Amino acid sequence: MKKSLRLGAAVALAATASLTLASCGFGGGNGGGDDAAGKTTLDLLVPSYSDNTQGLWEDVISGFEEENPDITVNLEVQSWDNLESVIATKIQGGEAPDIYNGGPFAGFAADGLLYPAEEVVSADTYSDFQESFLANAEVEGTAYALPFIASARALFVNNALLEQAGVTAPPTNWDELLDAATKVSALGGGIAGYGMPLGSEEAQAEAAVWLWGGGGTFGDESEITIDDPSNLPGAEQIKKMIDAGATQADPGSTDRSPLMDIFVQGQIGMQVGLPPTVGQIEENNPELDYSIVPIPTQDGGPFTLGVMDQLMAFQNDGDKQEAITAFLDYFYSADVYVPWVQAEGFLPVTKSGAEQLSGEEALAPFLEVLPDAQFYPSTNPKWSAADGAFKALFGQLQTKPAQDVLTEIQAQVDAG
Amino acid sequence: MSTTSDASPVEAGAAPSRPRPSGREPSSGRPRQGWRDTVAALPWIGPALLLIFGVVLFPAIVMFINSTRDISISGIDKGSVGLDNYVEVFSFPYFWPIFVRTIVWVVVVVGATVVISLGLAQILNKAFPGRRIVRLAVIIPWAASVVMTTMVVYYGLEPYFGIINTFLVDVGLVDTPEGYGWTRNPDTAFAWSIVVAVFVSLPFTTYTILAGLQTVPGEVLEAAKMDGAGPARTYFGVVLPQLRSALAVAVLINIINVFNSLPILKVMTGSIPGYDADTIMTLIFKYIQNQHKVDVASALSVVAFIIVIVIVAVYVRVVKPMKEV
Repeated sequence: MKKSLRLGAAVALAATASLTLASCGFGGGNGGGDDAAGKTTLDLLVPSYSDNTQGLWEDVISGFEEENPDITVNLEVQSWDNLESVIATKIQGGEAPDIYNGGPFAGFAADGLLYPAEEVVSADTYSDFQESFLANAEVEGTAYALPFIASARALFVNNALLEQAGVTAPPTNWDELLDAATKVSALGGGIAGYGMPLGSEEAQAEAAVWLWGGGGTFGDESEITIDDPSNLPGAEQIKKMIDAGATQADPGSTDRSPLMDIFVQGQIGMQVGLPPTVGQIEENNPELDYSIVPIPTQDGGPFTLGVMDQLMAFQNDGDKQEAITAFLDYFYSADVYVPWVQAEGFLPVTKSGAEQLSGEEALAPFLEVLPDAQFYPSTNPKWSAADGAFKALFGQLQTKPAQDVLTEIQAQVDAG
Repeated sequence: MSTTSDASPVEAGAAPSRPRPSGREPSSGRPRQGWRDTVAALPWIGPALLLIFGVVLFPAIVMFINSTRDISISGIDKGSVGLDNYVEVFSFPYFWPIFVRTIVWVVVVVGATVVISLGLAQILNKAFPGRRIVRLAVIIPWAASVVMTTMVVYYGLEPYFGIINTFLVDVGLVDTPEGYGWTRNPDTAFAWSIVVAVFVSLPFTTYTILAGLQTVPGEVLEAAKMDGAGPARTYFGVVLPQLRSALAVAVLINIINVFNSLPILKVMTGSIPGYDADTIMTLIFKYIQNQHKVDVASALSVVAFIIVIVIVAVYVRVVKPMKEV
C-alpha cells in the first residue's frame, strides 16, 4: 500500500519532469490584430543575418511608420537556427506572422497559407525584380514569395599560403584544386589546404558546390533527386580530398562559420565564401593577402551556388493585404532597400538596386559570377526535408561510402 | 485533516473528516460527508487542480494526440494516422543503438555523479577552515546556466583556438598542432558530454547527500567507535545505510533529469553528422529541428516518457530506496 503510493509519487515526478520538453511546443503571445483606434498591426518575423540586422529593420520600420501613421509594425528577430521551428510553432498555433523572411517556402504555398507575390506589391515594384530571381520563387507558374536578397559563392584564396607552397595560380578545376590543397596542407603547422565545412550548419551549401560542380543536381520543382548517378562524381571527389589530407581535420563535423574564422586568421589555403566574408576579413584581419576567384569545377566551367532568401506574406485574416502592400512597396524602394542590402553585404534582387551597386568593387567578383548561378530547388515542397537531411547526414561522407550517404539522404527525403 | 467543523454539530465529536478506503465501518453518513467535504475543499484545491491540468495534463494530452496525427512540415494537422508514427520511430534503423546509448548516458552520468558526490559531501561535512567558501564553490556550477557551462567547455575543446586543446598540445598529449577535434568525433564528444553532465549534476546531488549526512546522529557514530569499528566499517555499515532516503531522492531526480537532458548533448554533439552520438532526447530534437516532424517527435516523446517511467519503476522495485532502514 505504502510502497505503491511511493511508486505513484515517483512516477508523477517522472511525468512532470519529462513533460517539460513536450510543453515547449506552445508559443505564447497574442496574435496582434487591429486595435480599437482602427490601427493595423503587422507582425514581421525575420532572421538575424548579422549583429546589424535588428537595427536595420528598426530603421526601416520607424521610417515606414512615420509615413503610415495608421500602421504599426511589430518586429521579431530570431536566429537562423531557431527560425524554422519558430515559424512552424506559430503557424500551428494559428499565429503566423504577416510578413516572414525565410528560405524554403514551397511547403507554406502548398498548404495555401501565402499570398501570391503579385497581390502584395504594386505593379511597379513587381516589375523591378530580376526575372531569374522571380522565376526561382514560382510554384506552378505563380510566384508565392518575393525575392529578398541574393548571394553567390566564390573561392577565397590565401595568396601567401599558396605562394609558400609553390602554387603559382589559383586552381580552376578539381585536379588543380586537389593538387594545390595537398601542397598547402603539406606546409604543416596546423595549416589546412582546403576548408571543407560539411557540418550541420550549412552542409547543403558545400554539398551543392561539389555535387553540382561535378554536373549533378538536387532535382527540380516536382522531384528531389539526391541519389542520382550525376551526383556521385562530386561526392567521390569530396572523399578524395579528405583522404588525400587536403582538408582540415574532421571536415564531416566542421561548421562553416567557425571554419571561416580560421580562414580569416590565415590558417587555411582556400575556402568557399560569401560576399559578407569580404567585410569579415576587412574587420578582423585586414592584413590578409587574399583573392576571390570562381569556384573550381570538375571541367573548369563557370558555376556558382546562388542563394536567394525570400519575403513571404501570410494570409491571416485577409484584411491586412493593403497594409502589407504598403510596407513592402516602401521597403523595396531603392532608397530604403539598397542601404539595407549593402549594410548586410548581400547582392540586390531588384534591377534598380543592381544599377546602384554596380560600381562597388568588393561585390564585383560576385556580381560577375551571378549569371551562372544555380539555385536550390526550393520551390519543391520536399526541399526543406532535403535541406534537413543534408545537414544531418551529409558529413558522414568522411567515414561512409559516397553512394551510401546519397542513398540515406534520399531515403530521408522520400520519407519526409 | 482535523478540521474543527463548527458548522456540522451533528457530526461533532465523531471521527475526523475523510472516510479512508480501508475504513471498516461504511456507515451511511460517511460517504456523503466525504463528498461534501470535497466540495467544500474545492475552492482551496481548485487553483492547484487547474494548474496541474494546465501545465501537466493538458500538454501531455496534446502530446499523445499529436503522436497519432499527420502534421505537415509547416504545422498543419492533416488528420489521424493511427500508430504510423510509432511504427516510424521503431523502424528507424538507428533507434536501438540510440536507445542503448541513452541507457549508457543515464547510468554512467548518474552513477559517476553519485559516487563523486558521496565523497564531496563527506569532505564538506567535516569542519575545516574555509569550509563555507568551499561549500559555495560547489554550488557555482548549479548557479550557472547549463548551456553556458557547456559552451565554455565546447569552445575550450575547439581545434585551433580552444584552451583545453592548446593545453593538451603544449604538454604534448596531442601531436597535431591545431589540436584534436574532440567535439567533432562522436565517441569523444559523447564522453565529454558525460563529463559536463556529471559536473553540472554534482551540486544538487552533493547538497542532498550533505543534508542526509547531517541527520546521522553523533551518538551512533560514537557507538560505532566504541564497538571498535574502523573508518571504512563505520562508513559502509553505519553512515551509508542512514543516507538511504537522501540517496533515493538524489538518484531518482538525477535519473529523470539526465534522461531528459538536451542542452549538453545538443551543444557538444550538434555538429556531428549522422546519429552516432544521439540519445532519445537529441533525436526528438532532430525530428523537430531538421525534419519538422512534430508528429513523429511526439510519438518518440511518448516512448521516452514510458521509458523513463519504466526505469524509475525498476529502480524503485529493485533498490527499494524508500524502505526504512
